[in-house]
Amino acid sequence: MTRHAFIRCALALLGGVLGGGGFGHHGMLGYAGVALAQPVDYGALEQLFGEPVTASVTGKPQRVADAPADIEIITQDDIRRSGATSIPEVLQFVPGLDVRLDGFASADVGIRGYNQTSNPHLMVLVNGRQVYMADYGRILWATIPVQLSEIRQIEVIKGPSSALYGFNAVGGVINIITYDPITDHLNTATVAAGTQHYLGGSVVGTGGIGDTAGVRLSLGGFQAHDFAPGQLSQGDALARQSPFNGTFAADSRWQINPSVSAFAEASVGDTRLSEQELTALFDTETLVTSSIRAGISADTPFGLLSLSAYRSDASVDVNNIGINLVPITDTEYQTSYVVQASDLVKLGTDHTLRFGLEYRNDADNSGDYGNGVISTAIYSASLMWDWQIAPSLSLTNAVRLDHLLLHYSGNLLPGAPVTVAQYNNTTVTEWSYNSGLVWRATDDDTFRLSVARGVQLPTLLQYAVQFRPGIFSPAAYIGRPDLNPSVVWNEELDYDRSLPAIASTLRTALFLQRTDDLLTTPFGAPLTITPSGLPVFFSQNVGYSTAAGAEIGIKGHSANGFRWNASYALVSTTDHTTLDTSPGLGTVEYAHSAPNHVVIGGLGYSQDRWELDLMARWQSSYLDYRLDPTRTMLLPVQVDNYVTVNARIGYRLTENLTAALAAQQFNAPALAETAGPPVQRQIILSLTARL
Amino acid sequence: MVSGRHAPSRWICGLLPALAVMLAVTQSAAAASLSAKDLQVLGRALAFLQPPPGAGSIAVVFAHDDAASRRDAEAIVALLGDGLRSGGSLLRPMLRDSQSLAAGDFSVLVVAQGANGEAILAASRATHALCVTGDLAAVQAGLCTMAIWSEPRVEVVISHAAAVAAGIEFVAAFRLMVREI
Repeated sequence: MTRHAFIRCALALLGGVLGGGGFGHHGMLGYAGVALAQPVDYGALEQLFGEPVTASVTGKPQRVADAPADIEIITQDDIRRSGATSIPEVLQFVPGLDVRLDGFASADVGIRGYNQTSNPHLMVLVNGRQVYMADYGRILWATIPVQLSEIRQIEVIKGPSSALYGFNAVGGVINIITYDPITDHLNTATVAAGTQHYLGGSVVGTGGIGDTAGVRLSLGGFQAHDFAPGQLSQGDALARQSPFNGTFAADSRWQINPSVSAFAEASVGDTRLSEQELTALFDTETLVTSSIRAGISADTPFGLLSLSAYRSDASVDVNNIGINLVPITDTEYQTSYVVQASDLVKLGTDHTLRFGLEYRNDADNSGDYGNGVISTAIYSASLMWDWQIAPSLSLTNAVRLDHLLLHYSGNLLPGAPVTVAQYNNTTVTEWSYNSGLVWRATDDDTFRLSVARGVQLPTLLQYAVQFRPGIFSPAAYIGRPDLNPSVVWNEELDYDRSLPAIASTLRTALFLQRTDDLLTTPFGAPLTITPSGLPVFFSQNVGYSTAAGAEIGIKGHSANGFRWNASYALVSTTDHTTLDTSPGLGTVEYAHSAPNHVVIGGLGYSQDRWELDLMARWQSSYLDYRLDPTRTMLLPVQVDNYVTVNARIGYRLTENLTAALAAQQFNAPALAETAGPPVQRQIILSLTARL
Repeated sequence: MVSGRHAPSRWICGLLPALAVMLAVTQSAAAASLSAKDLQVLGRALAFLQPPPGAGSIAVVFAHDDAASRRDAEAIVALLGDGLRSGGSLLRPMLRDSQSLAAGDFSVLVVAQGANGEAILAASRATHALCVTGDLAAVQAGLCTMAIWSEPRVEVVISHAAAVAAGIEFVAAFRLMVREI
């Protein structure tokens, strides 16, 4: 099968479905009416309570206002009105989030600071399936096999959530929730074209058999020219190629009987994108990704039992340029498979418990980068206890224990001061917790107090990268098996107030955070000369960092069609590392690597067939890095403060057809948002059919 | 056009009765212990019964020999109009005296102001009908299964004991999200 053959097959399949194949449902999108015994019927519960519902904070379905964490919900309406063509473009207008666009199809998203290229501090899931790249815990957003039109909501949880999700959920969690194949009958197609030679489209179709089975198929992709290289070095500019992407996903669910529900899903994707990698080089990665997942849940006298398993695969061709403009190519194969079981049970009227067990295996065969296969096997057990102390007061405690076994097979670099036995004897046992108190002081006032201990595991490359001397510099770059996980402590106080007089909600948050045992890659570490005389840059733990911050925001809408939002986010980070952070040496320099101040504002209006939206974001300056023209030293780059303004005009041509014109960053033809290529203004015209 | 000149007066003639009906409904709504929005919440909550109710009847019950209670029940019936739609089913309202519930030809009991008591509780137990009220105290006392209200925010409170006694079960996700006492 050729590279794009699967997409053609998928398109034919989807065309058959939308063309009137044997699927019975052609209803309206939205609440189908009958609530089935699925774990969480988001649509029905949202309609009942009049506000979004989430299960991402504790594993228990909750109204967002009652959840014991600072959570933002981005709805399908928000996504559509943003005019965005990618998830990071949507996220850049969420208070407390930092989005680094270092290529047309490449972005790193951080929550409350600590954002750098290939950011591994964030956990991203699609309906609970983790979608990070196993090699470095980084997110390649373009590879996520979800079309924007099939997303019910994006849930953004700020702060550590390791007690539910385990390692790496330290900065926060982003859970992308799609529509349900049974209850949400979504049939839509979008085509879009714009500047940068952008051409994209998506098709989503849903079919089913009564209220007992449903399948949703989605196919989408784009091609474009990447941003002009700007001030990038010749080598970085040469390494970048224009992006394209195509993904296909199938999501099905069966209601076996009123109490038992099963699901199966699969996806494939083919993506090329240029990005800044963790070495600070710019490269082009071409990926073939796939996933398969199945599960079953049952509403029993013993609680809501769930069992699921999934496997994700990625083949990654990396093309970049080393010293002396020598092309470097490598192929990585990454595999993750996960088995999860849980029981969510209500005891009496006031106590809810969730027991969880998980097995996860991540493996990276990184070719020349690691000279072998590095893998982790993680066994986890978790317990969540939610106690409704009084009608207006609840306390949630969650604790999780993770036990990791490290394994390496391959050929370590000659002279490397680590051995295969050291890797294979390495185990890590860590515990994490989340605790949150929610007090609804009045009908309009809610306070949340939360504390957490999150754990950031060293990435597979931090453990086992094996760059021989002469690739990037005369020195070797070597990972170590004896790294400690980073531990993130977080304390937070939130206050929400609904303002019915102006149909708005005010949200505020204060937080303190401390990260112990900061981890650096070899590319941000000081040079060491081993006893054998080998010059080496090692991965290592380099001290600690503290952060303090605050957020305040208001969001509302009026009955006559207006909507508005405004927010301010502050984060101040202080590093206490053992590194020499003089310019050109360190990448573990969190104090200045994300903006301290961000102001966001938005205004929208809907009337009859029209939708008009305007969004603006200002952020203060920060410090970023790229390689100097010799491609041997890090070059600090001051990214000045900037404003980006987006706008969208949507017009409903017919009941089923909508045209929209979106302008991303229409206030400036090009903006230096990172040390990478300047982000260019983008104008996109789209046509959406919804049946 | 002759007909055109006469058209406005016909519109007004048609409009006046409609306004009168709207006024009456508004007044009824103001008088009812459950608002139209509360009843909308009820319709959505019924979808989480295990199993969901099929087509049938809602008995709106008033206290025997209590004129105020009867007026409240009539107001609720007026708000329900042709019936309460829950999922694909339509539940048609009917007015019932609290002393004439033996027939059991209903799947939901909506209790008007002042009617909560042992008679309703017994009927709910005997017929496995869901008892719904706007009176939280009645649910706290275990006399009725579900209290609902929609302002300032939607709240659903369930008496666990009353639900068990009436043999009523809810979908797990629903139980996890409502307040049980």
